[in-house]
Amino acid sequence: MGSSAKRKKEKQKDFQKPKLKVGKTKAKPENYTDTSFRSKSIVLTQQSLHLAAPSSNTQFTHNLSLLSAKSDSQRRDSLAYLTTTIASRPVNSPLPQPVSVILPSLLPLILDGTTSVRTQLLKLLKTLPRGDVEDHVAQLLPYVRAGMTHLAADIRVSAVEILSWLVEAAGEQTVSCAGGWIKTLNCFLSVLGWHTEESSRWSSNRASFGKSGSQGRPMVKVLGALADFLDAGIGKPFTGNADSDISEDDESSAWPFPLCQTAQHMISDSSAPYAYLNLFGQPRDEEGEMYETREDRYRVFSARFHPAMERGLKGAREEGGEMGRASTSVSKVLKEAIAYGPGP
Amino acid sequence: MVKRKLGALEKVEADLPNLQHKIRRDPKSYIEDFRAQHYQYESHREIFMASPSSATDTGVISLRDLIDFISHVADCYPDILKDFPQQLIDMLMQHHLVLETELREKLVGSLVLLKKKDIIDSATLLHTLFPILVATPSKTLRALLFQKILSELRTSNSKTTNHKLNRTMQTVLFNLVTSDRTSSKGLWAIKITRELWKRQIWTEAKAVEIMKEAALSENEKVIIGGVRFFLGGDKEREDMEDESSDDEGVSVGQVKHQLTINKKTRKKARAAEKAIKSVRNKEKKKNQPHPLNFSALHLLHDPQGFAESMFYKHLQNQKSKLNLEQKLQVLQLVSRLVGLHQLHIMPLYSYFQKYLTPRQPSVTSFLASLAQATHDLVPPDVLEPLIQKIANEFVSEASAGEVATAGLNAIREICVRQPLAMDETLLQDLVMYKKSKDKGVMMASKGLLSLYRNVGAQMLKKRDRGKEAAMSLRAGTKQERRFGEQQAGGIEGLELLARWKDEERRKRNVENGLPSDAEEDDEEADWAAWNVEDDEDSDDSGEWINVEEDVEIEMSDSEDEGKAPPSKKAKADAEVEKKDGEKETEKEEEMDFMKLATTRILTPADLAKLAELRTQASVDALLPGNKGKRAAPWTSRHTDDPLTAQEIEGLAALSAAKATREEKIAHAKEGQPDRSERKSKEARRKERKEEQGKSTTNKEKARRKNFLMTLGKARSKNKRSLVETRAVLKAHHDRAKRGGKRGNIGQ
Repeated sequence: MGSSAKRKKEKQKDFQKPKLKVGKTKAKPENYTDTSFRSKSIVLTQQSLHLAAPSSNTQFTHNLSLLSAKSDSQRRDSLAYLTTTIASRPVNSPLPQPVSVILPSLLPLILDGTTSVRTQLLKLLKTLPRGDVEDHVAQLLPYVRAGMTHLAADIRVSAVEILSWLVEAAGEQTVSCAGGWIKTLNCFLSVLGWHTEESSRWSSNRASFGKSGSQGRPMVKVLGALADFLDAGIGKPFTGNADSDISEDDESSAWPFPLCQTAQHMISDSSAPYAYLNLFGQPRDEEGEMYETREDRYRVFSARFHPAMERGLKGAREEGGEMGRASTSVSKVLKEAIAYGPGP
Repeated sequence: MVKRKLGALEKVEADLPNLQHKIRRDPKSYIEDFRAQHYQYESHREIFMASPSSATDTGVISLRDLIDFISHVADCYPDILKDFPQQLIDMLMQHHLVLETELREKLVGSLVLLKKKDIIDSATLLHTLFPILVATPSKTLRALLFQKILSELRTSNSKTTNHKLNRTMQTVLFNLVTSDRTSSKGLWAIKITRELWKRQIWTEAKAVEIMKEAALSENEKVIIGGVRFFLGGDKEREDMEDESSDDEGVSVGQVKHQLTINKKTRKKARAAEKAIKSVRNKEKKKNQPHPLNFSALHLLHDPQGFAESMFYKHLQNQKSKLNLEQKLQVLQLVSRLVGLHQLHIMPLYSYFQKYLTPRQPSVTSFLASLAQATHDLVPPDVLEPLIQKIANEFVSEASAGEVATAGLNAIREICVRQPLAMDETLLQDLVMYKKSKDKGVMMASKGLLSLYRNVGAQMLKKRDRGKEAAMSLRAGTKQERRFGEQQAGGIEGLELLARWKDEERRKRNVENGLPSDAEEDDEEADWAAWNVEDDEDSDDSGEWINVEEDVEIEMSDSEDEGKAPPSKKAKADAEVEKKDGEKETEKEEEMDFMKLATTRILTPADLAKLAELRTQASVDALLPGNKGKRAAPWTSRHTDDPLTAQEIEGLAALSAAKATREEKIAHAKEGQPDRSERKSKEARRKERKEEQGKSTTNKEKARRKNFLMTLGKARSKNKRSLVETRAVLKAHHDRAKRGGKRGNIGQ
C-alpha cells in the first residue's frame, strides 16, 4: 500500500520497546558514548601543597602575573592586592619587585576595557615612589597617549587622569622625554577637538564619537590636566631655577676648594643621560624628538599650537559654565608663559 | 531605577567598523575622530616598535584593527596619511621575522588594499613583497605573498600589458637567479615565471631568459625547475587555454527562461545581464586574432650555446650532483634542442654510447633522447656505431620481446631523422624480424621496412621492396637523398589542389565536348573566386554575377554527377585519359604542383579548398580501407612534439604476457566512454533532466501520484454512464487536438 504503510512501519520502529532479558546486561542505548580508556600509567599533576604559607614576595609575583588574566575582576583584585602590599610596606623599605619589573605588566592595563580596573590601576600608580617613576616616563607616555585618543570615552578620561598624575609626579620628565611634548599636545587638541577652526566651533559635534557626553565633567578634567601639563612645560621656571641654584651651591660646597664645576664631569645621576643621542632606538622625526629645555618647548608651542589653543580657549570661555571656569586656569598659565617669553 | 544592560562593544565604544562606515560616507565631518584614531595608531605603533617581538594585544583595540581601519579609509585623508604606506612597509620589511602571524598577514593585506586604492603603485608593492617572499622562513606567509604577487601581476596586466612593470619584475627575477647560483632561492623566480607563462601574461624572450639562467644554475632544484619549464611549460599553457575556453559558466537560454518563470528580482536580472555579458565577451574573444605565441624553445637566444653549456655542465661533468632521473630530464631538453634547432654537439653522441644496454635503468628514455637528438645534418658516421650497438645489445633472437621491440623502434626513429646512418647488411638483418612471432617485434620491424621502402629502397633485398618502391626504383624517379641535401620548400597539400583542379578541368572539358587536355581560359572564374566570402556584397556589377553563377553551376554539376552520368564512351575516354595522366603525374608531379604555385596566385577560394582537401586527406589516411596509402605514423608528427619513451617501447607492453588481469581490463576499458554504472536509457535520461534543473513529465507525475488520491476517481470511473463516458472521451480527444489544456494556439 504505497508509502503510507511504509511510513507507518518506520514510525513504529522509533518507539519500539527494547526487550529486557533475565540474566543479560541491559542493552546500551543508541547514543551511548564509550568513555573508557586504557593507559600505561596514570600521572597525577603536582599539587602545590606546602607546609609553610607562601612568602609575601612570592605572592606579590604571583599577583603580578595575574594582571594579564582573562577575567576583569581577577585583574582588579590583583591590582588591589598589589596596591595594599606596596602601600602598607614599612617606610623606606624597597619595593618587593623593582618598578622596572612591575611597570611592563601594568602598562597595558591603561587601555583596559573595565572601568574598575583602571581606577584601581591609578590608585596603584599613585603609591609608587616618585623617584622610580621618573625613569620610566618614556615607557608610560605612549600608553597614556593611546588611552587619550581611545574610541571609548571612559578610557580617555582615565588616561587623562593618569597623565595629570604623571605630570604631578614627574613633570619635567614628562614634557622633555622623546615625543612627550608635541605628541601629547596633539592628543590634547584631539581630545578637546580644537585642531582646526571648523572643528572648534561650538556647532560642530566635538569629540563626537564617544558615547557618554563630551559636556561637563570629562572636559573639565581634560582642561585641568592641560593646564598642569602646560605649566610643567612652558610655565614660569622660577622655582626650578631657584632649585638648581641651591643645588649648585650644594655641589660647590660638596667639593673641596680647588675643584670647581666637578659635578659636570662626573657620571650623571639620571638613568639615561645620553637618551637624547638616541643611539639604539628608531630614528625620530620632528614630533618624536626630545625637547629638553623650556626654550625649545616654547618655540615649538608658539609655532604650532598657540593659535589653535587660543581659539579653543576662546570657544570654551564663551561657552561659560564649568567649562568656562576650567578654561580660565589654562588661560592663566598661558598668559604667564607668554609674559615670560621665550626665556631669559 | 533599573540600569540598562549594555553589550560588550557598546560599553567600550570600540566600534571601529561603525566609524569606518561613517567616515566613508562623510569624511569631512569625521576628520576629528579620524585624527584621534590616527594618533591612537601612532601611539600603538610606538609601543610596538619599542619591542616588536613581544607585542601583545593591548586592551580592547589592537594595532591590527587600527591598521585595518586606517588602510580602509586611507583614500579619504591623503594629506594626514602621507607616511602611512611607508610605515607599513618599514614595519613589514624590518620585523617580518618576529611579527605575530595575524598582524603580518594584516600588513600584507593592507598594503595590497592600498595598492587597490592607488595610494601606492604596483612597483612599490612588488618591491616590498618579493624580498620578503624570498627571505621568510614561514610557509604560510610565503604562500600568501606568492598569491598576492601573482594576483598583482595579473591585475596590472589585465587591461593592457604593463610593459614597464613586467620589465622591472623580470629584471628582479633574473638578478635573483643569476646573483647566487648555488642557493635555492631561484625557485621563486621559476615559480612566478612559470605561472605567468602559463597564463600567457609573460610571453616574451625575457621570461625564457630567466628560465635559461635557472637551468644553468648550480642548485639541483632550480636546474630541474628550469628544465621542466622548457619541457612542459608550453603544454601547460595550451591546456590552460583550452580549459579557459571551454568553461561555459551559465547558459544564456536557461537564465532567460528562468527569468520568465521565476519571480523577477533585481538580483536575478543582474545575473542574466552578467551571463549575457560573459557570452558576448567570449564571442568577441573568438573573433579576435589568435595571439602569436612562440613556444619557449623557439624564443631562446643562442640555443647552441645553451645546449652546449647544459650538456657540459650537467651531463658530462663528473661533479654534477644530479641523480639519474634529473639527468634524464636534462638530457631530454638538450636532445630536444639539438633536434629542433639542428644543433651540433658531437660529444653528445659518444656520451650515449655508455648508456645503451638493456640493463640500464629507464633505457627507453635514453633511446628516445638519442632519436630526438638526431637530425639530417648529423654526420652518419657518428650515428652508425650507435645503431650498431643498439642492434647488438637489444635486437637478437635471444633477447626478450620488449627489448627487441624497443631496440627496433629506436633504430627506426633514428633512421627517420637520418636515413643515411643505416648499414645495408644490418638493415637486411633487421628486416628479417618481420617474421617474428612476437607481435611487438614484428610490428617494429615492419615499421623499419616501410620506412626504408620510402627513403632507401635500394638498400633492401629485392623481395622486400614492395611494388611501388620497386617500380619507382626501376623508373629512377626516386633518388637517394645525399647528406646535407635540402628539400625545396613547398606548400603543404599543394599537390592535392593541383590534382583536384586537373580533374575539375577535365570534367568540364568532357562536358563541353572538348578534348580533356585542352587548355581553358578560366582566369575569370579564378578572379571571381576572390569574392567567395562576400558574394552578397558584389551584387551591383552585372558581369561578375554571371561568372559567379557559372562557377556555382559547375560545382553543383560535380556534385550531381551520380544522378546524370555523361555518356558511356565519354566516361571510358576519361578513364583512359586519367590513367595516362596518372603516369605523367607520377613523373612530373613535383614539377606540376610547383608550377601551380609559381604561375598562379592562389585565391582565397583556392586556399579554402586546399584546407578542405588537406583535412579530407588526413581523414582518408585514417580510414581502414585505405591501408596501402595510409601515412606512416612518423610523418604526422610535428617537429615541436617531443619523442617519448612510450613511443620507443611501442607495442612491447602488449606483447609481454606479464600484464595482470586488472591491467588488461583497464587497458580494454581505456577507449570506452566513462560510465559509472549500468543504467537503463530511461534512468539516464531522467538523470540528465534532473541535472539540468528540469521538472518531471506529466506521465511521470501521474505514475508517482499517491495511490489513495487516485482511488476516488477510479471508483467513480466505474460508475459512469455511457453518455458521461462519451463526453469525457470527446473532451480528451479535443484537448489532444488542441495540444493540451492550455493549447498551442497562441504560441
